[in-house]
Amino acid sequence: MAVYTPETSAEIETIIRDALLQKTPLKISGYGTKTGLGGQVQAPDELSLAGHKGITDYQPEELVMVARAGTLLAEIEEALAQKGQMLAFEPPHLEGFYGTEHAGSLGGVIACNLSGPRRISAGAARDYLLGFDAVSGRAGYFRSGSKVMKNVTGYDLSKLMCGSFGMLAVMSEITLKVLPRPEYVASLSLICTSLAQAQSVLSAAFGSATEPSGGAILGEGGGFVATIRLEGVQISVEDRLVSLSDLLASFGDLRVLEGEESSDFWANMRDIAFLDKGAEQVWKLSATPSLAPQVIAEIQSSFDIEFGLDWAGGLIWLSGSGAGLGSHIRNILAANGGGHATLMRASDSIRAIQPVFQPLGEAIGGLQTRIKTAFDPENILNPQRLNLGGEADANAF
Amino acid sequence: MLLPEPEQNILDRRDEIVAALKSMLPKGCVIDDRTTMKAFDSDALSAYRNLPLVVVLPETARQVADVMKWCRDNKVKIVPRGAGTSLSGGALPLSDGVLLGLGKFNQITEIDYENRTVTAQPGVTNLAITTAVQDNGFYYAPDPSSQIACSIGGNIAENSGGVHCLKYGLTTNNVLGIEMVTMDGEIVRIGGKHLDAPGFDILGIMTGSEGLLGVVTEVTVRILRKPATQRAMLVGFDSAQQAGQAVSTVIGAGIIPAGMEMMDNPAINAAEDFVQAGYPREAAALLIVELDGPEVEVDYLLDRVAGLMKTSGASSMRVSQSEEERNQFWAGRKSAFPAVGRISPDYLCMDGTIPRKALPEMLTRMAAMSQKYGLRVANVFHAGDGNLHPLILFDANAEGELERAEEFGAEILRNCVALGGVLTGEHGVGVEKRDLMGEMFSEDDLKQQQRLKCAFDPDHLLNPGKVFPVLHRCAELGRLHVHHGQLPHPDIPRF
Repeated sequence: MAVYTPETSAEIETIIRDALLQKTPLKISGYGTKTGLGGQVQAPDELSLAGHKGITDYQPEELVMVARAGTLLAEIEEALAQKGQMLAFEPPHLEGFYGTEHAGSLGGVIACNLSGPRRISAGAARDYLLGFDAVSGRAGYFRSGSKVMKNVTGYDLSKLMCGSFGMLAVMSEITLKVLPRPEYVASLSLICTSLAQAQSVLSAAFGSATEPSGGAILGEGGGFVATIRLEGVQISVEDRLVSLSDLLASFGDLRVLEGEESSDFWANMRDIAFLDKGAEQVWKLSATPSLAPQVIAEIQSSFDIEFGLDWAGGLIWLSGSGAGLGSHIRNILAANGGGHATLMRASDSIRAIQPVFQPLGEAIGGLQTRIKTAFDPENILNPQRLNLGGEADANAF
Repeated sequence: MLLPEPEQNILDRRDEIVAALKSMLPKGCVIDDRTTMKAFDSDALSAYRNLPLVVVLPETARQVADVMKWCRDNKVKIVPRGAGTSLSGGALPLSDGVLLGLGKFNQITEIDYENRTVTAQPGVTNLAITTAVQDNGFYYAPDPSSQIACSIGGNIAENSGGVHCLKYGLTTNNVLGIEMVTMDGEIVRIGGKHLDAPGFDILGIMTGSEGLLGVVTEVTVRILRKPATQRAMLVGFDSAQQAGQAVSTVIGAGIIPAGMEMMDNPAINAAEDFVQAGYPREAAALLIVELDGPEVEVDYLLDRVAGLMKTSGASSMRVSQSEEERNQFWAGRKSAFPAVGRISPDYLCMDGTIPRKALPEMLTRMAAMSQKYGLRVANVFHAGDGNLHPLILFDANAEGELERAEEFGAEILRNCVALGGVLTGEHGVGVEKRDLMGEMFSEDDLKQQQRLKCAFDPDHLLNPGKVFPVLHRCAELGRLHVHHGQLPHPDIPRF
């Protein structure tokens, strides 16, 4: 097995061209920190972007940063913090979750479209990718997007690259929209007797003019704690804390979390650190927020699980065990407003028998497979990482 | 404007095609007489007009699917159309194509306050979504200037923006789900009230695809709680360069206003003549800055912004003292296009985006171009996000002026790209900027985009002739030409 570590887009192109000629698939990686997520890639050789790194352009007043795909997430966040800015989608740091040395590369975050608690208010990773250049599975170099905030010139291929798990093209340089860091952060927490009540608290908060930037529920001592985050200029956060407290007073006793207590809480949510480390399976469910309590109750009727909610209830993190857990979860989601479930962490043997990603219907699966064909007709890039429901077909069109 | 050469065999089969469409749609859903079809012969880019082969106005997704499947099987082209407010000719009909209007899809199907979503049919107007929820204190954030008329389905096709997208994002950042019909006639759902659909992001790629990939038959958007307070300030400058610099200074200070608009002197005076918004007529440039949120935050940030404006050399400043006054400030900006329409028989509206810092340079170049072409230009900008709307004034009845205006517009867009920007920020490519795509993209870039098109519509039946300057057959795009163990471009350096 050969590991290629290109340092330029021209080198990426050469490696992919050789792989195409020899019809030998490539595993695409950064630092391998997220190999625990997704299907297992069967490829004789690996293309690692660990050598293709560095911030190439950063203009804080333009809210734009350009970096090579292999740049460490930590390096990006450090550079932004120095200028009082941030990645607003709050990418998770999953080194604790996957047991890796660090949180990996920018390319990995984008390829997996990973977003943290602020997803509910600020959007996902996919909402911050302004442009990129890449080499497709056809060994073709191409660019898309730009360095400006507002651009509708041609198809928005940035959206397609986010969450493509390296199966369409290998990104070389990534252009991101960045935002100012909030000057002040505080959270409000409230102990509830039931999950349904906690969900109502989040619904009331997010339906108010207090602009929450996070809404989570964790179990505690037989009850549930709903926590809501407010961010912005200090005078505004303090004002909104008062409004929110007034709004939620009827639900129970409130507690304000400030400073590290607040930031630790949200880092814990962001990095999925609240679930049992030894759990056999960890699932990520995207659901209709108001139906989350019902979804959880139905899952619990057959399986013993641990869980926590983020995204105002729209994101359910859940751990448990059992061969039928995945299909049970998916059936219950389908019966409760739709949604999808991803197996975030499990042993290789369990991932081999339970589909990691939500199976797609025939029509959408067909579209997904044809999109794969458009970029990588010979299935050279990361085969089987995402389950598309079919293989690319070089003769499809 | 060159559209693809109509296929004679389709034109010859018109009677048969009309009969087939009538057989699959309810009475009154097919329009085939030329007089009535005339109402559909252009969109808001009215310089270009063309009669379609036939107009269909289906009422259900099933009917849309039947029409599309029949057209695919019979190799008949389709041009989708929402409210027809496209400024780039995205809904310009084809002589040998069926114009598929979504005007009868005009119902809001669900309002869900608990999950803060609205689900609507694509023909519902942008403003109608806000109107439906405003009594409960909510609104839909993207607010294109055409919001009273433009449809939410059209907003998806164009990824529409508006004056508040600096803070609240474009359509793509506010759509949660769609139901769409593929060219195969399949009805599929992507997303919904939950976030982030599995697989490749089809919702993301559909948004802004200008009707080339599928036809949207239902839309779910997120709605937001109306901010507690909104206030706007008018800031005058003696030079457009200073105003441009002030915009960067505010954003550089970590403040993202809800909106930050700029108008130059000709636009200020045209608007002032039209609606008496209270703009400073003598200013070379005017900024309208809007802040929203809790009252204390708005007051605090207004103070900070005022300080930054002063140090940037502002010559006048006014803060709205009432909701009425705030609306008056915006009335001038929002009516800038009709206002300019009063001072010139015709105008062309351009839509490039540039990096904010390039604004002063762009204005200098624009003034030089105005001299060169002998045509006046009035500028309104979404300055916060670098999106320019130069309005080129001309008289279509004067020999050669339209052509000169078009050349002027093309040169502006080439300059946008040269300054690190793009051809279109929110109006779309359509037919208008189609032939300029090569300024921004290489042949390889465009071919990769067209391969994506092939995944959805391998026969190029959906809205062909828009966006891409050259129609490559999918077979030609799709093949990997591996000959004798060599791919194309063997000359690319190896390491």
